[in-house]
Amino acid sequence: MYESMILRTIARLMLPLLLLLSLFMVVRGHHLPGGGFVGGLLASAAIILQIVAFGPDYAREIIPVNYLRVAATGVGFAACWGLLALVQGQPFMAARWLDTPIPGIGKLGTPVMFDIGVYLTVIGVTTQLALVLAEEPTLYPLRRSPPPQTEPMAPEA
Amino acid sequence: MLTAIVLSMLALAPIGLLARHLPRPLIGWVLALLPLAAFAGFAARAPLVLEGGVLIETLPWVPEMGLSVRFSLDGLSLLFALLVSGIGTLIFLYTAYYLADDPGMGRFYVYLAIFMGAMLGLVLADNVLLLFIFWELTSVSSYLLVGYKHDYPEARRGAQMGLLITVGGGLALLVGLVLLSNAAGSFEISEIIGAGEELRASPFYTPALLLIFLGCFTKSAQFPFHIWLPNAMQAPTPASAYLHSATMVKAGVYLLARLHPALNETPLWIYTLTAVGGTTMLIGAAIALRKDDIKGLLAYSTVSMLGAMVLMAGIGGHDAPLALVTLILAHALYKGALFMLAGAVDHEAGTRKLSELGGLGREMPRTLVLTSLAALSAAGIPPLFGFVAKEELLHATTHSNLAPGVEMLVVGVTVVAAVLGILYAWRLVSGIFFGPAAPRKKAHVHDAPIGMLVAPGVLTLLSVILPLGLLPMVSALFQPAVMAIAGEPGEVSLHLMPSALSLPVVLSVVAIGSGAALTRFVKQISAAPSPLPAWLNGDRIYDAAISGLLNGTTAFTRAVQNGRLRNYIRYSLLALLAVILTPLALFAPGNAPVPDLSNITLPEIVTALLVPLAILGTIRARSRLGAIIVTGVVGAMVSFMFVIYSGPDLALTQLLVEVISTVFFLLVFAVLPASFQRLSSAATRARDAVIALGIGATMAAFTWIAASSKLFPPISAVFKAEALAEGKGENVVNVILVDFRGFDTMGEITVLFIALLGTYAMLRLRPEADPTIAKMRGKTEPDAGFLGRRGRREMGIGSRDGHENGQDGAGAPAPVGQPGGSQEEG
Repeated sequence: MYESMILRTIARLMLPLLLLLSLFMVVRGHHLPGGGFVGGLLASAAIILQIVAFGPDYAREIIPVNYLRVAATGVGFAACWGLLALVQGQPFMAARWLDTPIPGIGKLGTPVMFDIGVYLTVIGVTTQLALVLAEEPTLYPLRRSPPPQTEPMAPEA
Repeated sequence: MLTAIVLSMLALAPIGLLARHLPRPLIGWVLALLPLAAFAGFAARAPLVLEGGVLIETLPWVPEMGLSVRFSLDGLSLLFALLVSGIGTLIFLYTAYYLADDPGMGRFYVYLAIFMGAMLGLVLADNVLLLFIFWELTSVSSYLLVGYKHDYPEARRGAQMGLLITVGGGLALLVGLVLLSNAAGSFEISEIIGAGEELRASPFYTPALLLIFLGCFTKSAQFPFHIWLPNAMQAPTPASAYLHSATMVKAGVYLLARLHPALNETPLWIYTLTAVGGTTMLIGAAIALRKDDIKGLLAYSTVSMLGAMVLMAGIGGHDAPLALVTLILAHALYKGALFMLAGAVDHEAGTRKLSELGGLGREMPRTLVLTSLAALSAAGIPPLFGFVAKEELLHATTHSNLAPGVEMLVVGVTVVAAVLGILYAWRLVSGIFFGPAAPRKKAHVHDAPIGMLVAPGVLTLLSVILPLGLLPMVSALFQPAVMAIAGEPGEVSLHLMPSALSLPVVLSVVAIGSGAALTRFVKQISAAPSPLPAWLNGDRIYDAAISGLLNGTTAFTRAVQNGRLRNYIRYSLLALLAVILTPLALFAPGNAPVPDLSNITLPEIVTALLVPLAILGTIRARSRLGAIIVTGVVGAMVSFMFVIYSGPDLALTQLLVEVISTVFFLLVFAVLPASFQRLSSAATRARDAVIALGIGATMAAFTWIAASSKLFPPISAVFKAEALAEGKGENVVNVILVDFRGFDTMGEITVLFIALLGTYAMLRLRPEADPTIAKMRGKTEPDAGFLGRRGRREMGIGSRDGHENGQDGAGAPAPVGQPGGSQEEG
């Protein structure tokens, strides 16, 4: 957390823009530079910016999700689309595509959905790591009160 | 059919758990139907095999590796399959009485059924890899059975010893079998046997044979690997009777017999087996005579008989195969019975020590009769089946392919072992049932329940009636088995009484006579002091080896993983250096490509030069913040390199990774002293510099060679061409990530997630991070977190250990994050 008016103002403005940009990156990723990995990094960079500017509590408050769960969902989601081919008697993760393109998005298929799984995983992992570090009491003992060291110890059994 | 029997035995193993609920002895009768059905199945196939046919079933499993589920039923397999399922039925019955009061009986039945399936698979497998799988499965189920009473340290030790020795030998066996299959060009045992001539001429013959011997000797408890078998006597008696006497320990003998037609007749085969088998036979019998524990006595006598079987597999000659199968059957019958009777004695009298038994004949008459008959068979006294086996054994030793001098020695050793056999059989019976009664462990000793005596009774009855009236039937059963071992058809006819006075008969009479004469001195002989020094004890050597191994690995782990991160990095880098530099130094000189520097451009040179400059800057930086920022230059330049080579995706990703890792650095380093101080000596830093430069140079050379060698056409062209057509995308990088190499990406995100879980667990689930955990554990020292006191001090986080870091910790403001956080710490 860094109490800077400029940083905080810009961070607040940038959050929606960066999140939109990350979504844009994922959607266009199959044809132009971008993709789930870059998109995920961008989105978590947006959230990490909030952590730096306002602290982890604020970052959790404005986007109240459990990132551990986001990461797990991402891995599961990605794996699920690989299973589709298995059900149809093809090898695991063989690509299946819809015949007609969706307007505005383009062709939809399991690799695109898989990319969304990657996107979610990267967001969850990166952001949760940043939060774990930023909320670490050894590193930032003042953030939580009271610190565990001063708690009365339970008598030894 | 064969496949069905083996697999259903394994699959139906869990029904043993029924034994938890139903009335105890009854459930044993129900569960025994399982092996009985298998026995009936094999018996129904017997006529086909006895006429010389072979039943083969094949099911492809991994055809690319030559692995198929291929079972065949020939004479040898039939004999073993009948033994395994037949004795298995009796063991299932016996267990119901032996473990009647044991709450874990269900578990025991499950292990037994798994073992039975594995053992049947082993003797039926016609593919060496399949055989190996079942071989190891028998070791594993033996481990579970020996360790059944796992709250006793001796049981755990016995289980571990058996597992280490037999599985270690199994690994040697696997290598040997693979070598053998390579030499023969097939994994099918039937084809390997057919390729005998080629195999004996192959350069792989000697190593393959030695490795297979190692597997067989460990499994069949041959000297000096026999030590695990007596320790396996920690298993409940049904398992001892079944695995460690009648069936599993014969697996090594089975494999030797199975490979006999292909591999025998070389001096290596003949003399190795003769030496090992003969030594084991003699030593086993001698130790058996001295044992006080009746199960220990029986275990060593089993070792002795296994030695005799290996001897029969080795010596060659026309009669050895018949002697081998006769021994196998006779031993299974009497030793299985003796073990079960010993279990009955233990069960009723409460002890297995001969010194605490004696005079039980009055209280346990039925057990006395059965034990005496089985022991007479073990001693080779006519007219029991053991006598027939001993006759064949002596006959084979006098008609072997050995050199005359060696043959004399083998005959002598066999006679001595036979005399010792009579003595320990006598000692067993007289020690338990006759003589003065020792103080009883239990107040009222009574005879074993009839149900408990059914199983040993059946086996003993067979030992009696087979030689008295059923020898033609037994001969018919042996005929195809002998043919499978000898590799050529031959007439088999067993006789109880010899038709003429020949050398074996004389030897037999001598053995029985001297054995009978010596029985009156059996106490003195068994109590004589051991001629060997105390340290020459297999158990002691094993324990020393195990503790030496543990101490060695502990010392090594302490040295390598001493909690200092910089040591971890150093060792990892040195290992990497060794792994990459060795092949590089061996193959690169002379093959190194010449660099083509003609197309190099100015932006590339500038970018490339900025990287080492930034690294120098990082090293020279005075403050941590400076070092972190200058490190970022390296990443930025790499990213710029991607831009130059038109890889926008990579450039973008690299840049973002760089930004985020800088933030991570700052988060972690925020609480460290703001400026560096030199704690290492100049020598240490010079050493680290050498390692770092070495790694850098090696990786550069490696990358250069990897990028410029043209062993295979690069795959990128294929990817570019197929991206739109197959991957439906124009961004090749992304198509590779999510489609062509999607499986890799799947693995990568899984690794990412696991890394997150690890970090989360390490940082969050520890007492200081969570007051509730601290309270729960009642921790007294909140400082010993995942870094521990010492680790934290090394990283410069001196929170409770005073102000070790001096003015660095106290004076400097934190670069980012909590203002004043650092002051609080210092």
